[in-house]
Amino acid sequence: MFSSIAEVQQKLSEQNYLTDRNVATIIFLALKLQKPILVEGPAGVGKTELAKVIARATGSRLIRLQCYEGLDEAKALYEWNYQKQLLRLHIDQVQNKSWDEARQDIFSSEFLLSRPLLEALLADESIVLLIDEVDKSDEEFESFLLEILSDYQVTIPELGTVRANRIPIVILTSNSFREFGDALKRRCIHLYLDYPSFERELEIIYLKVPEIQQSLGRQIVRFVQTIRKQKLKKAPSIAETIDWAGALLNLGVGFIDEEIIRSTLSILLKYQSDIEKISPKVSSYLPE
Amino acid sequence: MEAKILEFCRLLRRGGVNISFTQIADVLRAVSEVGFCQDDFYIALCSILIADRADKPLFDRLFRLFFLSLHRQGRVPSGRGAEEHEPGPAESAEPVSVHAELAQQADGSGMGRGAGASPAILLIKAIRERNRLLLERLAQVAVKSLGPLARTDLQHMDNTVVQAKVAIGWYEAVNRLERAKGLENISETVYAGWTVNLGWLEHRIEQLLEDLFVSMFGNEAIEEIAGAANLKEKEFYRLDNLEVDEIRRRITKLARKLASKYARRYKRAKRGEIDLRRTVRQALLTGGTPVRLRYRQKKISKPELAILCDVSGSVAVFSEFMLQLVYTIQNRFRWVRSFLFVDVVDEATPYFKNEDIEAALGDAFAKTYFSYSGFSDYGRVFTLFANNYLAGLSSRSTLIILGDARNNWRLAEKDYLQKVSENVRRIIWFNPQPRDNWDKEDSIMGVYAPYCRQVFECRNLRQLEEVIEAIL
Repeated sequence: MFSSIAEVQQKLSEQNYLTDRNVATIIFLALKLQKPILVEGPAGVGKTELAKVIARATGSRLIRLQCYEGLDEAKALYEWNYQKQLLRLHIDQVQNKSWDEARQDIFSSEFLLSRPLLEALLADESIVLLIDEVDKSDEEFESFLLEILSDYQVTIPELGTVRANRIPIVILTSNSFREFGDALKRRCIHLYLDYPSFERELEIIYLKVPEIQQSLGRQIVRFVQTIRKQKLKKAPSIAETIDWAGALLNLGVGFIDEEIIRSTLSILLKYQSDIEKISPKVSSYLPE
Repeated sequence: MEAKILEFCRLLRRGGVNISFTQIADVLRAVSEVGFCQDDFYIALCSILIADRADKPLFDRLFRLFFLSLHRQGRVPSGRGAEEHEPGPAESAEPVSVHAELAQQADGSGMGRGAGASPAILLIKAIRERNRLLLERLAQVAVKSLGPLARTDLQHMDNTVVQAKVAIGWYEAVNRLERAKGLENISETVYAGWTVNLGWLEHRIEQLLEDLFVSMFGNEAIEEIAGAANLKEKEFYRLDNLEVDEIRRRITKLARKLASKYARRYKRAKRGEIDLRRTVRQALLTGGTPVRLRYRQKKISKPELAILCDVSGSVAVFSEFMLQLVYTIQNRFRWVRSFLFVDVVDEATPYFKNEDIEAALGDAFAKTYFSYSGFSDYGRVFTLFANNYLAGLSSRSTLIILGDARNNWRLAEKDYLQKVSENVRRIIWFNPQPRDNWDKEDSIMGVYAPYCRQVFECRNLRQLEEVIEAIL
């Protein structure tokens, strides 16, 4: 798919996703070793976005499985459409079919509802499978994922073993909401996405809000990077920096001072307690 | 090279990182894909071997010592560590030689251990001017001031680092900078910059020392460093502040693991009696055929837990960990009550209604009345406990006592402990001292042990994990 690390980096930046060489290296390795990538990091650094971009860059179809508490095999892998099966049985009864015939009928793929995981295994084209927020799922689900991710195959009792037609590119994301098992972690290649460096964030701002003045952009990024270092319930993510830059641009602001920051702080900080914490100290966080 | 990677994995394991055979196989494959050049080698190793972010600092340290020391001998191409740890670009435009001279002067003017004021002034200057080159120079001076190093300095690395810091007036400088912050109205941004640079200098001193030791003792030194970094085996009372934070994080992790384990058991217990009402209701969906049976949920009886913590001196850290752990999984219990003591005992339960455990711990330690003389008095505490708090416990309660049983040669009052033990289901005692020290000097573990169902030695994180698994 990719022949070199440089190519990965270039293809990603063609999709407007700016990244460092280490991210490219990890993606390259994961594809070569055919292993899932586990992306961790604070909320809003572009974990889900990365999966979407990889899909676009490789020309693959993205299949997304959003995890939540209580997610089980039936919703993630496959389920028998038993209402349809019952209907079929009724019809068979009317037609006086024997059990053997009926059984062959109702356990065929027609009655199988494939959910994201099975869909990813059965697909003929190349697939990026995004398993989002794995940390929100239950432990049982985690061990069940283990089976799929290690062999890219799954066993359905009535149909036999289903093997992946093409091994999908698997990306798991996690917010470290819960620690999950070592077994799953060891099967993955780890990518820790952190908040971007000053220069990188500035590049992103110029890319997403191209009309912004250079000097204002620098001020914005410096301020955001400073308050990120404070102890907050939720530090501002890249998305929030972009929103803020957009808002300031629309307000026609040429530079930021205490007053402007205070009146727009709610764009950066989403918790009242965080705003109360930062607001009185804005002047000391201002870039020199 | 394969052998080198295997050796490196062994060192990581020694440092407490779990690494499986699959991971090693993967690393070998990965390295054959990316080669040994530049950052790629480092990233291949790190992204596959380090499953837990908390292990990353140790990985970086060992990577640097192991592969870069090989590199210096010209056997391996450079990795990322090399660039990362070179002194950063000087932010000050002043020529270096001046500072080098200054530093040398300071060096010459007898800055031995516990030196005078001059190096501190230099250090403050460097921090204020964000002069990395001068800082680098200071780090070298600090290490040089130690004179010839021996094996024992490696074994007591913490101490060695402190001595090096003293030599450049570290503590004085930190103190003065803190005061300056208040006096001169320094902004948060600038002060944060100072802290970063101080951290950098400390880190650099450690690095230089480690380098020195590795050049003296080779891989044995790396092995020693890895072993010392293994938090699971490190005794609680020897932890420094950063390590305490790290252990806190690990305890939260352990608590979550325990909590989900409980969830699993709860689910398995659901089999058994059929819940007819819910089964029939479910069957309506499938035209009256009960496709899936519903089972009645079993209630698991939850234990009651009281925890009696010695918070004197060296035991305090351990008590904090235990309280944190217990309160993180408090939904596993019918109720949890906690008591703190040194020579008197007071209940701390109300403070833990707060969701934030760290704040609750701070409150509990600040507001409960647990110390009169400052010296542990187990006898008096058991007397008070038996007289005042027994009514709140029942024959279903488990009482956990945390303490070293060092009674400062006061009365044992074991009858009162016996009285307590007759009124609760069981007493379990965790002792953070090595078993060999029990019943020596003023330790009277043996006197109290007969009234306890179990007595565990619990000196480090590994033992804490084992013990908790055993009693839950």
